[in-house]
Amino acid sequence: MTHSLHRCGKHQEKDYVWLLYHVKGVNDQNLKQRYQKSLEIAEAAGAVNWGDVKSGPVVTLSPEEIRTRLTDKSRLRGAFSSLTQVTKFLKDMKAEDLGVCVIIAGPLKEVLHSCRESGVEPHTINYSLGVFGKTELLADDSTLAITTMCGHHMVPDGIVEKYYRKVQKGKIKPEKAAHKLAVMCPCGIFNQERAAILLKEFAETADSEQKQGGRK
Amino acid sequence: MKIDAEKCVGCEICLDCCNVGAISMQNEKAVIDRDVCVECWLCYRNHICPNDCFEPTPLETPGDIFKHVLSDPTETSAGTGIPGRGTEEAKTNDVTGRFDKDSYGICIDMGRPGIGAYMRDVEKVAMAVAAAGVRFASPKETPLSGLMTDVRTGKIRDEYLDVHVLSVIVEGTCTRSGFAEALQAILRVAKEIDTVFSLGIVSFQRDDQDEPLFRLLAENGLSLPTRGKVNVGLGRPLYTG
Repeated sequence: MTHSLHRCGKHQEKDYVWLLYHVKGVNDQNLKQRYQKSLEIAEAAGAVNWGDVKSGPVVTLSPEEIRTRLTDKSRLRGAFSSLTQVTKFLKDMKAEDLGVCVIIAGPLKEVLHSCRESGVEPHTINYSLGVFGKTELLADDSTLAITTMCGHHMVPDGIVEKYYRKVQKGKIKPEKAAHKLAVMCPCGIFNQERAAILLKEFAETADSEQKQGGRK
Repeated sequence: MKIDAEKCVGCEICLDCCNVGAISMQNEKAVIDRDVCVECWLCYRNHICPNDCFEPTPLETPGDIFKHVLSDPTETSAGTGIPGRGTEEAKTNDVTGRFDKDSYGICIDMGRPGIGAYMRDVEKVAMAVAAAGVRFASPKETPLSGLMTDVRTGKIRDEYLDVHVLSVIVEGTCTRSGFAEALQAILRVAKEIDTVFSLGIVSFQRDDQDEPLFRLLAENGLSLPTRGKVNVGLGRPLYTG
């Protein structure tokens, strides 16, 4: 699946997805212990959200609950907010040599820089070429910047638009609205820190436009 | 999915939550058009309704089951045993070597972002790329192939053509020498569908950039990719080509 690949909009340099995978019968021996260690590394690097789609993300469950529910079929995912975090994560994962598949999705230039800094070698890249077809059906760019952070689209356009309006009217803080949106993404790759920035900026822009007699 | 009409108070809160616009108001009650609904269960799982009016309905047909499994990421595909939409594409290529130095992976993410796709459009795309030399992943690797009458043509069984999903991946490989033809087929068929797709091209490589691929993209009027999903080669045993 490619639920982490096709993000769009502003501040992508503050948004990186990490994924940990395995293949049954190939690199799944003692998987639970190896994933436990990987999670320690991701948390130490500063992951802002993470989870297992079968149990949920840390914005709804405690890390201990997710760890307890790990199985030999789990696949773990999460989000970082800076390249420094990505580089630390990759360096430490390389040093531990746990043998699980590690994937980083994000702006290419930055991710490849982080690979060089941490001493890992890109093996395979899935390049995002964008959206084709009836693109006139798509939501506006501000909405897509947030909804595409849950690539499974479990954060619907209508809810994001509702929170944009609420933040603009001062009915909810951007950080709280971002958290509520993150809760809807079951696998933990929604970056609530970037979402809060986007919500805040949109509200400020809309305010400014209204003051100038623009968008109502 | 259905809405319990007796419990529904007509507050309209749920209208914002449906990705595919399957919920509407009739006689001051919210109702779900089950042909449009993709059974993602987002409304139910998130308790969108203050009165908990959403109730999953039995998934009675193979089409119902398929659309639920593909649209609800908490489900696992029975054919592949993989959660989400049942594929791993580049994510495990460091140990599987599904994509090698002579091939490119093609990941056509139908219905994304957030539009949904009918399987008749999925079939159009699958048949177009198959005719251009794309070979689909096996049913053990991707759920869509299990619905095809013939994986060489991309024809999908007729009983699935009106099924609506939130998204599904048309996933396969083509030779590097045949990539230009496959890409042109993808760009042509994009004009013939009533939905959108997000396109990913998977490249096995041992350095930073795939210059031949970038040249081909430029020759076909496409921008160079600025985003990527990078498998950093820490899986063991490592596939080295």
